[in-house]
Amino acid sequence: METGFFKKLINVIVTKDDERLSDKSDVELVNLYTNKGDESAFDEIVTRYSDRVYGFALRITRNANDAEEVFQEVFLTLTKKLDTFRAESKFSSWLYRVTANASYMYLRSQKKHESNISLENYYPYDEKGTLMGKIMDKDWSSRPDITIFSKEALDIIDKSINELPESYRAVFHLRDIDGLSNEEVANILEISIPAVKSRLHRARLFLRDRLSDYFHEWRR
Amino acid sequence: MFMCKDVVENIMEYIDSELDLQTLKELEKHTGDCPECKAFVNTYKRMLEITGKLKDKPFVTPEVRNRLRVLLKSKIKPV
Ligand SMILES: [Zn+2]
Repeated sequence: METGFFKKLINVIVTKDDERLSDKSDVELVNLYTNKGDESAFDEIVTRYSDRVYGFALRITRNANDAEEVFQEVFLTLTKKLDTFRAESKFSSWLYRVTANASYMYLRSQKKHESNISLENYYPYDEKGTLMGKIMDKDWSSRPDITIFSKEALDIIDKSINELPESYRAVFHLRDIDGLSNEEVANILEISIPAVKSRLHRARLFLRDRLSDYFHEWRR
Repeated sequence: MFMCKDVVENIMEYIDSELDLQTLKELEKHTGDCPECKAFVNTYKRMLEITGKLKDKPFVTPEVRNRLRVLLKSKIKPV
């Protein structure tokens, strides 16, 4: 009886506390940490953004160990530099930018070289502007969901995204996986909106081709 | 004349419903007549559905999270 009561009491206190922090906006959390040194506010920021920071770092570095280095670097930087965040920009955009910069810096320091496939002139049509007659043959769009969303297909697309050149990879990840707008992506990567659109366009064409080859060759 | 090329180059705006009415009509007329483009549009849409699923992939394992926690603890020492 008594233990039951205490458990309930503890639950009430813990839930109340959690609700309070998870209800707070990003900016409120930032202020709590920078003005009052509230570490649980910082913890909440970590919880809220861990997957997005790590996922984006993994996309750029393409390696779990490297991604973890960047991930740690980002939050460590945050403990010191959170006060340089200005509320006129969106916190998530700012954090993505910190992550992008940390990832690129890390890659440079490791001298990891990049794939140099060029996508600048990547399109499926011929010089007359017609599709070459290979798309319909490989049409996989009416395959059952169980095939299309199989783990294997998801792995293939994930691997194919990692074959994209660095700048296309970053754009594609933010736009089509994390679901940000063209404006946000342009802002984070400090490129123009037309550049975002053009990279996203080529990246999607490349990935659609990759998937078609996969379904055509392996999953008849 | 509206070509396959025009379908390909307008596909993003088409998916996002950002085409002007004239272009939209021409695009849909072309894909109605051209099985290649019809297949292109359908597979393109399906591809976006697949990549959308990648969002649900969990990234940070409890181990990764824990190592971060330890690291932060060791670095933020009260002065
Ligand atoms: Zn066509």
